Amino acid sequence: MRIKLFTGLVVFLALLAFPLAGAEGYYYRTLSMIFLWVGLASAWNLTSGFTGYIDFGAVAYFGIGNYATALLMTKAGVPFFPSIMISGVLSGLIALFIGRYTMKLRGAYFGIATLAFAEAAKQIVLEFDRTFKVRFFEGSDGITLPIAHDETFFYYTFLVVVGLIVVLVFTINRNKFGYALKAIKEAEDSAELAGVNTRRYKVSVYALTAILIAVLGGINAYWLTYISPLDVFSVIHTINMIIMALFGGTGTVFGPVIGAFVLSIANEVIGSRLLYTWLLMLGVILLVVVVFLPRGMIGLVSLRRHRR
Amino acid sequence: MALTLQALVTGLLMGGVYAAYSSGFSLIFGVMNIVNIFHGELIMIGAFTTYWMFTLYHIDPFLALPVSIVSVGALGYVIQRVLINRVVEAPPMISYLCTFGVHLILSNLALLLWSADFRTVTTSYSGVGFSVGPITVPIARLVTFLIAIATTVGLHLFLEKARYGKAIRAASQDKEMARLVGIDIKKVYALTFALGAAITGLAGGLLSTYYVIYPQMGLPYTIIAFCVVVLGGMGYIPGALIGGLLLGVIQSLTATYLNSGLSVAITFILLFIILILKPQGILGRGIVE
Repeated sequence: MRIKLFTGLVVFLALLAFPLAGAEGYYYRTLSMIFLWVGLASAWNLTSGFTGYIDFGAVAYFGIGNYATALLMTKAGVPFFPSIMISGVLSGLIALFIGRYTMKLRGAYFGIATLAFAEAAKQIVLEFDRTFKVRFFEGSDGITLPIAHDETFFYYTFLVVVGLIVVLVFTINRNKFGYALKAIKEAEDSAELAGVNTRRYKVSVYALTAILIAVLGGINAYWLTYISPLDVFSVIHTINMIIMALFGGTGTVFGPVIGAFVLSIANEVIGSRLLYTWLLMLGVILLVVVVFLPRGMIGLVSLRRHRR
Repeated sequence: MALTLQALVTGLLMGGVYAAYSSGFSLIFGVMNIVNIFHGELIMIGAFTTYWMFTLYHIDPFLALPVSIVSVGALGYVIQRVLINRVVEAPPMISYLCTFGVHLILSNLALLLWSADFRTVTTSYSGVGFSVGPITVPIARLVTFLIAIATTVGLHLFLEKARYGKAIRAASQDKEMARLVGIDIKKVYALTFALGAAITGLAGGLLSTYYVIYPQMGLPYTIIAFCVVVLGGMGYIPGALIGGLLLGVIQSLTATYLNSGLSVAITFILLFIILILKPQGILGRGIVE
């Protein structure tokens, strides 16, 4: 455990000092993108990896974060940092309401209900203005945010926020809250019998994940400066979170970090040019991981260690 | 008033197709406990089959339906044999993730092969209809509706009366007991999947006669199928019929009075209301695990 913490700290400090080396903008953008995915996969893992309730609609909260921040900044003139915090709170409240009911569903039911939720959220943001003849979400036109900062600002913002998310997952992994979540994954009914209020834990962690994802979404909106419903609510984001976490190893602290690191680089190299081919490959990766490597890359490593 | 009546008729005609492919979804769920995420892709492939038969060989889409049925049925059979059989005994989340992987593969393969273009099948009878008072009934939709309803009822009768249908029901009720009385479970599973897929391929072919088709059309159909079977009761074929017609009407009313772009949103809101008001309908013993 101490080695992992130490490695994490060294990596963090190295990344903190990285801009001092005087790199070009491209590296900041690529690294910021990797941080974003590490954060998203880790936040997703907190609910889905720990409790086993695989959320197929996590992108809804990403989209909510993007839109809440964009609307607050452009229409209400709220500064950036308060905007992402309010976005997080709003997203958490929505998740409390949605989670209260969807978290009653088990297994595949939960998966498809959340998938439907995310698609519904996308449609509402996309069609609201046209349906009710108002100008609020701006429909498919999207929203343009002000440009005020350079790449290093976003590099550091992402680095600090994502660093905090990983530390949070690390802490939860070892405290009572985390044990309750894992008990839900192993044997929900027994946990309930043993006096764990499973419903409260499930809904709490679902809302916590929603807060984290929305904050990342808010930073994303300001970073990209232009957002549209089809982009920020795209089911592809959910697919990425799921596959990154599964690939690295769900229910662990560093599995999703590794998975997100590897796959977001692959995504940058292949996906940015050949999107359909890349998504097809993700489908194959998903099948291979689920059928042959249910514990992910982390599982491979610890398996070898056990054999020694 | 005429507008509402027209919306009701349009919704019922569409609901028939919903019922047909949702009955395939329901069958696969009822027997194998698998929520099939690539169900919409089966519709897409069924639709593209009739589209290509029409475009390349000028075969009428209704005459090409058997090709859709056989090709999608065969695809379902192969996927079941090669992949689903490996995970059918695993926790439901595993098979769900697997079908999600197949969804990604099929939809993106279709995008690579056929591009993201919207396509339509335009026949001599496209847009032809007859009037009943103030309401117009398009011929193609009416024929589609009748075939879809006949298929759904036929599936129900097959499961109730036919020898093989009884084997399928036996396998869904008690796997171990079915095995003991000599039913080959894996074979029943593969044939069930093929049957569910074939019906879905048929529904896809029917849709192509009056709807736009494109490689990414699948996912909303999967979500609709889920909502239909939740409305009507998972694994219960007559439920899919009622749920399908109901959802068709609700969506049609939404399109008439609000905005057709909100179809999935309305579907989800409906699903959510059932969850709040009647959770026992979809919770309880029958569920997953």
